[in-house]
Order: sequence, then structure tokens, then C-alpha cells
Amino acid sequence: MTIPSEMRDWARQLLTYEAAADKCNRSTEPAAFCAYEKLRRSLVSFAGIAAFQSIASRALVLAQAEVPSLCAVRIAVDGALQGWSDVQPISTDKDQAGSQRGGEDPPGEAGSILIARILSLLLTFLGEALTLSLLRNAWPDATFDDRNSGNGRRA
Amino acid sequence: MTKEDKVKINQLPTGVPGLDEIVGGGLPEFSFNIIAGAPGSGKTTLAHQFVFANATPERPALYFTVLGESAIKMLRYQQQYTFFDPTLLPDSIRFINLSQVVLEKDLGTVLEEITKEVIKSNPAVVVVDSFRTMFRKPLDDMDLQSFIQRLALFLASWQATTFLIGEYAEDELRDNPIFTVADGLFWLRQTIERNSIVRKLQIIKLRGQASVPGLHTFRITDAGMQTFSRTFGLTANRRNAPGSKRLSFGIPEMDKMLGGGVREGDSVLVSGSSGTGKSVLATQFIAEGIRHGEPGIVAVFEERPQAYAERAATLGLDLERPQGNGKLEILYLRPLDLSVDETMHSILAAVQKIGAKRLVIDSLAGFEMALSPGFRADFRESLYRMIFALTGIGVTILSTVEVDESFTEFPFSTYSISFLTDDIIRLRYVSIDGQLRKIMTVIKMRGGNHSKDIREYEITSTGVVILGARLTNYQGLISGLPVRTNRSGVQEDAVLDPEIRTNI
Repeated sequence: MTIPSEMRDWARQLLTYEAAADKCNRSTEPAAFCAYEKLRRSLVSFAGIAAFQSIASRALVLAQAEVPSLCAVRIAVDGALQGWSDVQPISTDKDQAGSQRGGEDPPGEAGSILIARILSLLLTFLGEALTLSLLRNAWPDATFDDRNSGNGRRA
Repeated sequence: MTKEDKVKINQLPTGVPGLDEIVGGGLPEFSFNIIAGAPGSGKTTLAHQFVFANATPERPALYFTVLGESAIKMLRYQQQYTFFDPTLLPDSIRFINLSQVVLEKDLGTVLEEITKEVIKSNPAVVVVDSFRTMFRKPLDDMDLQSFIQRLALFLASWQATTFLIGEYAEDELRDNPIFTVADGLFWLRQTIERNSIVRKLQIIKLRGQASVPGLHTFRITDAGMQTFSRTFGLTANRRNAPGSKRLSFGIPEMDKMLGGGVREGDSVLVSGSSGTGKSVLATQFIAEGIRHGEPGIVAVFEERPQAYAERAATLGLDLERPQGNGKLEILYLRPLDLSVDETMHSILAAVQKIGAKRLVIDSLAGFEMALSPGFRADFRESLYRMIFALTGIGVTILSTVEVDESFTEFPFSTYSISFLTDDIIRLRYVSIDGQLRKIMTVIKMRGGNHSKDIREYEITSTGVVILGARLTNYQGLISGLPVRTNRSGVQEDAVLDPEIRTNI
């Protein structure tokens, strides 16, 4: 089950956005963790803890197949991420190249894959329009590319 | 206190086609309503349609989900409906899950949580789906009625129109204190009648305005819920006075028998056994109307519109062109699970669309067969409502009905509906001189005098043709087994001589 490229893009955008946000800059938490927490808060309010926990757990299992180091991560009963600090950097050529460029931190890519998996599940269950509206609710100032509009829209 | 002194209650669109009329114009603003019914009865869909019809970014809708269906699953399915506009989320419609609060806290905390969200969002619409799942635990500091009362008071004060959705069985309707608090109580039913599913809606209670009483059928399609009022959406219409205009069949001898034609706004029943030409007469009636600039509707149940038009063409009647230029609609009403109200809705929509003056229902037997079994028991009552509603707006209805041919009696209809019709034309077979011939007679015309003659007719390539003068030299024609009397002194067989046929 591959992740749609748009979901990878959206996930990366979220992480980039979180990395740039003042709040995350001041915190010691990685951008992926902040993005996950924001998604969790938004989705728990929308669908409830149990629904979010189920989706996050499924997303984690799918992401672990792609990033084995995510096996250290657990989803708590309340949907919170546990063991994130134990995640090892991904050692793919692409990420090594990214690291050499001095771009993103390596665990960020693992986080981006986990977030992308969550977004993919939302896309599967709710479709693009509602997934975008959820993201828009959690990141009111962010801009995402809307596949349908062709020219992007604020989401 | 004059009408001007009284507070005006604004009415909100329900977003459900047909429902505004049933509730008396729209849902009272700031009302506290309960939608009750069994699982799968359409409660959530109804609430969603109301929400999507009324939510705005300035006055959004708050949709609280509790235990049961998660919002993700709910929206996965609800977004399939055409009324679902995803762009309204989250600015105009916000889903908030309360399940954790319900599971872990008491009702007081649940109320606090709802209060907090309402104060934050200033919603115009609040839905709690399903509020009944809040009461699974033994009640503690706040009992159920108190909770509902405080919730109702708070939401009304905050100028929100509210729907609580709850799963209830029929026997829970009585003596339920929650229903006392509600301003509106919508009960949805889904019953199995033989192999058909019939959905019905009842407005058990609606404060402040008169709703249409009774059970109204509804259907859930891709467009969501659509209701069909028992009054067919015509409660606001005044009944037309009977017209004086006479409508022709395009068969002069027959028009003469009818005292000049069918009175406008009448309900005409053409009854006869199979093959007597009921549909031919009906087709001629419609075609003649179109020829006079009177648009028509033909509701067929036993054959497809194309086949109906092709059969008309064999009589030299062109039904294709008037269909193309908006003068005629042939409605094929899908069979087996219709309600009369739904059929009426289709017919009325067509009547209004083309300004129809004439309607043919061909046939009542087919109509009855097309109905869900549960409605067949009420067929006569339903026909009465339908005929009353349609003739009330000036439509002249011709219905055909098949009767079993009997040589011992002369029934007008198998449905005992003759009292519903203004005019009855009876067709039947008679055995004369070793031939099975056809006769017609006008049994009644409510609006005036009519011929008492029994006339022989044939179905030719141009339709129904009345032959010669009235049959005077036979007795017992309506029995089907007449006896020649030669009373007229006319030579035997002369009346039936093809040479003196009056081809119209």
C-alpha cells in the first residue's frame, strides 16, 4: 500500500510549517511530533479519541513497514505518541543526500511518513475535500495544494 | 392582542424537499427538536440536510457526536449525498466529539462541554447525535429530564435551533418525559411490508405552528431525504371552482354522449375489460387536448413511454412531437415500491412543469400494482386524496380501470371508486349474431346531463369509432347477452350494417 505522492507532499509541508513556527522553534520537540500532536488534537475533537487512536495505530503499522525504526514508537490509549525519541534516522540514499544538503533532520522523514500515512487514511475514509478541511482547521494559516483546483488553495 | 403584537417566529428551511410544507412552512427558529426512530430510519440524514441548509460561517452549526458512529465514518457515508457540501466544513459546520466526556464524566460535565462550545461558536444550529447514548450510565447528580431541560433552556437562550437525535422504539413514545420538553418531535419509521420497505415520517408535535398531521412517506436517494406530504404540497392552494369548459375526446359522437365533452376539472373513469379500448380512448383524449393547446400528462405503469407512443402512432396520433416541445409528458413510474404520495409528487411536478390540463392514469390496476403492498390496502383512500388534489387545481383526470367481464352483472370498477369520479364511461363486450362486439355507455356525469344511449363502437386504425345510432332493437345489452326485439322496426342487422357506420 503506497502513500499517494500528494500525501507525502502535504506531510512534508506540515513538518516544514511546524519547523518554521515559533512555537516549535522554542520547543525541544521535533517538528513531526508537533505536527502529530496538532493533528491529534484536531481529530480527537472532531472524531473522538477512540477513532483517532485507531487511525493512528493503523498508520503507524503501515509506516513501520517503510521505516523499521518506527517500531520503537507506540500509540497510547489517548492517541499520544510514545517512544518518539527512540526513533533512529532513516538511512536511505535520499535522506543521506538531504542530510548532506543540511536540510531536514533524519527522524523528520520518519515522522513525515507517519503523518503521510495518517493523511492517506483520512483521504481513504473522507476524501480529499474533507481531509483538507480538517487540515485547514488544524493549520488555519497553512497553504496546501488542492489536487482538484490545480492552482492550490488555502487549506 | 393583534396579530402584529404577537412575536413572529421565523421559519428555517429544513433542507428536505417536501418537508417545509409538512411542518407548516419551515422549522421554527430556536426550537428544540427531537428526531426519533429506529436505526437506519434516516435520522442523521435529516439532521445533516437541515444543517447544510442553514449553517453559515457567521452562524455555524455545531454537530456533537457522542457514542456510536464516529464522525469519520458518518461523514464518509453522508458526503455521498448531493446536498453535502464539503466546503462548509469546518467554518460553517463543526463536528465535535463528546464521547470521552460522556464515558468519563457526568451529565453536568457534558452540559458544561456543550455550553463551552456553544458560547465559543455562537451557532445557529446544534445537533446532538445520538443524545440517547449519553444515558447509559446510572444517573447521578443530574437526571435525564433535568439535563434535557437545562440543555433546551440554554440552547434556546443562545438562539440556536436544536436537534437531538435518539434511537427509540415505537412503544417508547408514551409517557416519555423527554418528549415533553421538546418543541418538535419528528418520528421516522421504516417498516417492511412483504418484500418492500416503506419509510414514513410523522410530526408528532410541533409547537407554534400547524404541521400537516398523519404519516408522510419519504424516500432516501442520492439527493438525501425527500418527503411526500399527504396533502401533496397543495395545502396553500385554493380549490378551483368547477369549470364550464367542455373537453373533447376528438370523437364527436362520444362528445355528444357526454353532453358536449368532459367538464374541465372532472375525474373521468373509463372502465371495461381487456381489449375494449380503454387505453385507446385515453390516448385520443390526451391527443385531442394537445391539438387544442392543452398540455397533458400520461402516467403509465404497464408499458414504457416509448411503447405507449408507438402504439399511439398506429392510431395516427403523434405523441413524439408534443413530448419534444413540452406539451406532453409520459411518466413511467417505476413499479413495486411506490407510495401514492410519491407518485403524486411525480405527477404534480410534471403538471406544474408543462402546465398540464389533462392527465391520463393508465391504468388504476397498474398503479395499484406499482405501489408497495402496504399502500395497496389504502388505495381507495389514496386515490381520493390524489383525485381531490389534482382536480382542485383544474386538471381533468381520465383513469382507466379493467373490470372482469361478467354476463350476470355490470360492475363499473373493481375498486368501488365510482364515488370518487365525476363521470363514468363503461365499455363492454356483447354477444350479437355470433360476434363479440363492443358497446359503450355513459353511466354518470356529475356536472350535467348526458346521453342514456348504448352505442356500438369499433377500434379502427384511427382509434375508437362509434357506429350508427343507438342500439334500439336489443334488450339486455348491458348483460352482454342481448335479445333482439326488433322494437324499432328497423330491419334486423341494419343498425350494425357497416354501410351506415358514422365514421368520425
